Amino acid sequence: MPPMTTTPGGLLLVLAVLVPFVGVLAAFALGGRNAQRVAMGTMLAGLGIAIAVAAAVARSGDALVYLLGGWGVPLGIALRADGLAVVMILAVAVVIVGIGAYARADFGTPPGVREARAPLVFWTLLLAIWGSLNLVFVSGDLFTLYVALELLTFAAVPLVSLDGRAETLRAALRYLLYALLGSILYLLGTVLLYGVYGTLDIALLAARVQPEPATLAAAALMTAGLLAKTALFPLHLWLPPAHAGAPPAASAVLSGLVIKGSWFLVVRLWFDVFPDVVTAPSAQLLAGLGAAAILVGNVVALRQARLKLMVAYSTVAQIGYLFLMFPLALDPASARLEGGGALAGGMMHAVSHATAKAAMFMAAGVIYAALGHDRIAGLAGIGRVLPVSVLAFTLGGVSLIGLPPSGGFLAKWLLLAAAVATGQWWWAAVMLVGGLLTAGYVFLVLARALASGAEAPALRAPIPRSQEAVALALALGSMLLGLVAFTGVHLLGIGR
Amino acid sequence: MTDAATLFGLLAAALVGIGLYALIVNPQPLRKIVAFNVVGNGVFMLFGAIAHRGAGSGWGGDPVPQALLITGLVVAFPASALAIALLLRLHDVAGSATLATDAPAPVSPDGKAADA
Amino acid sequence: MSAHWSAWLLAAIVGLPLAMLLVCIWKGIRERMLPLLAVAPVPALAAALVAADAPPFVLGQGRVRLTLALDFPGSILLGVAALLWIVAGAYASTYMRDTPNRGRFAACWLMTAAGCLGVFVAADMVALYLLLALLTLGACGMVMHEETPQAWRSSAVYLGLALAGEALLLLGMVMLAQATPGGSLLIRDASAVLPSLPQRDVILALLVVGLGLKAGLVPLHVWMPLAHAAAPVPASAVLSGAVVKVGLIALGRFLPFEAALPEWGLALTAAGLFAAFYGVAIGVTQAHPKAVLAYSTVSQMGLIVAVLGMGLSAKETDAPLAAAYYASHHVLVKGTLFLAVGVYAATGARRAWPILVPVTVLALSLGGLPLTGGALAKYAVKGPLGEGLAGVLANVSAAGTTLLMLHFVHRLRRSASGEPGATAPVGLLLPWALIAAACIAVPWGMYLSVPGGTVANPLAPNALWAALRPVLAGAAIAFALDRWGGPLPRVPQGDIAVAIDAAVGVAPKWGGRLERADEVLRQWPAASLALLVLVIAFGVAMWTSG
Repeated sequence: MPPMTTTPGGLLLVLAVLVPFVGVLAAFALGGRNAQRVAMGTMLAGLGIAIAVAAAVARSGDALVYLLGGWGVPLGIALRADGLAVVMILAVAVVIVGIGAYARADFGTPPGVREARAPLVFWTLLLAIWGSLNLVFVSGDLFTLYVALELLTFAAVPLVSLDGRAETLRAALRYLLYALLGSILYLLGTVLLYGVYGTLDIALLAARVQPEPATLAAAALMTAGLLAKTALFPLHLWLPPAHAGAPPAASAVLSGLVIKGSWFLVVRLWFDVFPDVVTAPSAQLLAGLGAAAILVGNVVALRQARLKLMVAYSTVAQIGYLFLMFPLALDPASARLEGGGALAGGMMHAVSHATAKAAMFMAAGVIYAALGHDRIAGLAGIGRVLPVSVLAFTLGGVSLIGLPPSGGFLAKWLLLAAAVATGQWWWAAVMLVGGLLTAGYVFLVLARALASGAEAPALRAPIPRSQEAVALALALGSMLLGLVAFTGVHLLGIGR
Repeated sequence: MTDAATLFGLLAAALVGIGLYALIVNPQPLRKIVAFNVVGNGVFMLFGAIAHRGAGSGWGGDPVPQALLITGLVVAFPASALAIALLLRLHDVAGSATLATDAPAPVSPDGKAADA
Repeated sequence: MSAHWSAWLLAAIVGLPLAMLLVCIWKGIRERMLPLLAVAPVPALAAALVAADAPPFVLGQGRVRLTLALDFPGSILLGVAALLWIVAGAYASTYMRDTPNRGRFAACWLMTAAGCLGVFVAADMVALYLLLALLTLGACGMVMHEETPQAWRSSAVYLGLALAGEALLLLGMVMLAQATPGGSLLIRDASAVLPSLPQRDVILALLVVGLGLKAGLVPLHVWMPLAHAAAPVPASAVLSGAVVKVGLIALGRFLPFEAALPEWGLALTAAGLFAAFYGVAIGVTQAHPKAVLAYSTVSQMGLIVAVLGMGLSAKETDAPLAAAYYASHHVLVKGTLFLAVGVYAATGARRAWPILVPVTVLALSLGGLPLTGGALAKYAVKGPLGEGLAGVLANVSAAGTTLLMLHFVHRLRRSASGEPGATAPVGLLLPWALIAAACIAVPWGMYLSVPGGTVANPLAPNALWAALRPVLAGAAIAFALDRWGGPLPRVPQGDIAVAIDAAVGVAPKWGGRLERADEVLRQWPAASLALLVLVIAFGVAMWTSG
């Protein structure tokens, strides 16, 4: 049971949420070139706060809690950071800083212009996404989570249509409407829960929740609504056009981080609020959808002609892995969801995918800017002119395939161990087949890039080396993430 | 008092159902936005019914759901505003406002998507 | 203090090639890396010679640790493999001197070397998997180096099958790791606890299939003829010589030889002996000398697996050592023969004899020609194979090997260079001569350390005659086939790989169906309806047995 009063260091949680939003206001108010400067400063500050939160949690060995206004639950609102939240806060901070470094070249205000629409919007919304994600991770009650979720959607949607073309506007509108449908279902579930239990605080609900009809309905509504926002198959209609149509920096943040926000909520709900309510059939259903996502997403990715669409469908498939962990965490003896190897595997996969997918979208963006197109058939020989980007793409892909020492391998090992321990062979088979299919399209692109028969394609525009370096750094981070297993640090179990 | 709460709860359920039906069936985005608002109103009405039902001694209604309801209204309003803004912009750029599934996107010619 | 440095020497086996690989990031260094390839395996050779008793090298503090350790069979294989890698590296620096993309080739070479040599010292499952993955990627890069359509196809088949095998191996290792007490990831601990597990058969099946794929056990061998024939000559030498042995050494470490498992032993022996004959049967139909050699590798690997199988069923803990000794002879000879293909192709018909005579002798030594290392190797495995059916079949397979090797020499003679007076450059001849000499010297030198070895036994007259019999029989069959046999059927390289082509051909249809299904589901009505259906489905699922 996490502590119920404000702990020392709890103020850091407030800062983690507030600082990005103060940055948003400052960037919008100051406008012009200053928006980018404010964003850079805020990113550094936010990274520092994330590290401080992690250090505080690791040192105290218990969750950080902050009661807003000093009012206790259930009337007041609590912010809580346990091990799960801390891992996500850290991962998001690192990836956002990387994306910020990457986007400096793409979203600089042109000289001679006082203010340009796209850069202003990008920097403002990047900070807003960050703040919303932090709020998702530290919120201690379901309604604050609804607000955070909506903030996240509103900040993410305009990034899709940043270039103003009709096709991206359509993708953004589709994304917004589908996400709103999901969140209104989530809100309906929240209302039902309040009606039955009189509180929305997660810790209190965990103690009071019983498998009653209203609770089951609420759980079903909230889960399905969140799945719509996470684009789990078959609710993935908005993801491929949105992520492929957005600018590469925006695709990186959408695919890597925004998806993880609503996924994290499902984890919170199922593990912290409903561990006794969810049943084996519902967990199997969730993982079944995940398996379908892996299969369909990977196969359709193999058939894509454009690189960015292929990476977007790869995201559809990798989201499936995130949901395989639920039946594997179901303890057969006590019939409730227990955190353990399966939860660790799922979290590791989320973090590893965030970094790897960001790197892949960045590399694809560099290739698009260099060639003027991203047709896979036209990539022959690009390995000679853009070796760093191709390497970053390959390393990110290798992490997704799950080869050691990447984070994807560690996640796969943990999930396989959980599958073996609970005797659920079929999910192990799904994971292995998914790895093979992922290898298919990663090596397809790599083979095309390394083919030496064609002449080296001419670069349309000079590529800033910093962009390639950031992509490579994130890809290397994902590749080396598996090494955390050697350090013996256990953050995930704190405060649970 | 319980009867009123039950009546409004049922009405709320009906609103949610009508809104969901409209959201699924109508292809025009504007109607989808209106349908979303109908669903939202249903949910908020449910909040109100619960507030009414949860009234303690001396109070007309549980204040917490009322606060949540107001916050929800505040959140739903910019949702509609953002959706309509996107819709208007889409209409300006494309000449029609439809969410018909995109044909496989043609390779963008040079000069477009300068921020890619 | 002396314990300290030998453990670091173990680390350098993998560390030096990896460090050289790291500096290959810079293009300037990468282009000049080719002459330095022979240096990378030197720590491995040194470790095999002096560090046989070294304490394990452990990396990491948490529950998960990487451990490198050397046991006796591993040190034998490590030594000869390192020798082959050094010689082939020197050969490659001349052979690949003028090819484009030599920087890329050097990088893939270093990856393969690091993985291959590292597996011989890998003592825990994570290190094993990591090094196998590295090995697969590097080998794939070498196979596709020449970028002909055949090379692309071979590397695709190789990569797909290797990854599938590694996936099965991963599952088996995860199951073992779950069951090992104390959460130890050491292969030694896992192997000790394996016979008593309830899922023993499943785990053994996964390990055998996963590692058998790497070792080329029929019917998982289909990638081998394709890959080994498509790669450049020095790459084929190390692939067929050293890389296939990683499957064997890992299998030898995982299989629990202390417990008698007769059914598994019988299965392995049967599969191995089948492969021994299958390789010969398909190999004699091949035209390309490299393909013939690849099928010979299939056949020899089968024989070694049969040795392991007999050891498993008879509880003979010496079987891995005997198998390692036999395999070490094969490493040297197969490497020599592959390198000879390149040397011979640069040699004119008039200067061919100095090359051809040693090649013929060494080729026949694979069949057990008396007084060669091959005879010693066959004598060493006589113990585990026993006198029963397995022993008899092994003898017959020696005749088959002789037949296959004579066919190889026959095909090799046709591939001489067009100019009658051409000689191969010194850079090719010198490494080749070195390893040809090693083929004789090393088995004789090591013979005393292998069990059952006294100098007198293999030199006894009846032992010499027993070794000569199969060779003469094979030669007689070869002569008969040449004289009176009609043309042999043409079997495509990779024989049953055509089944893979058929499967790949049908895949786009199913892919198209899935893509159309995806398009249907991405329509708004379908997707939103699916959302509502899921709400109801989750509600029902949570209600049942809830």
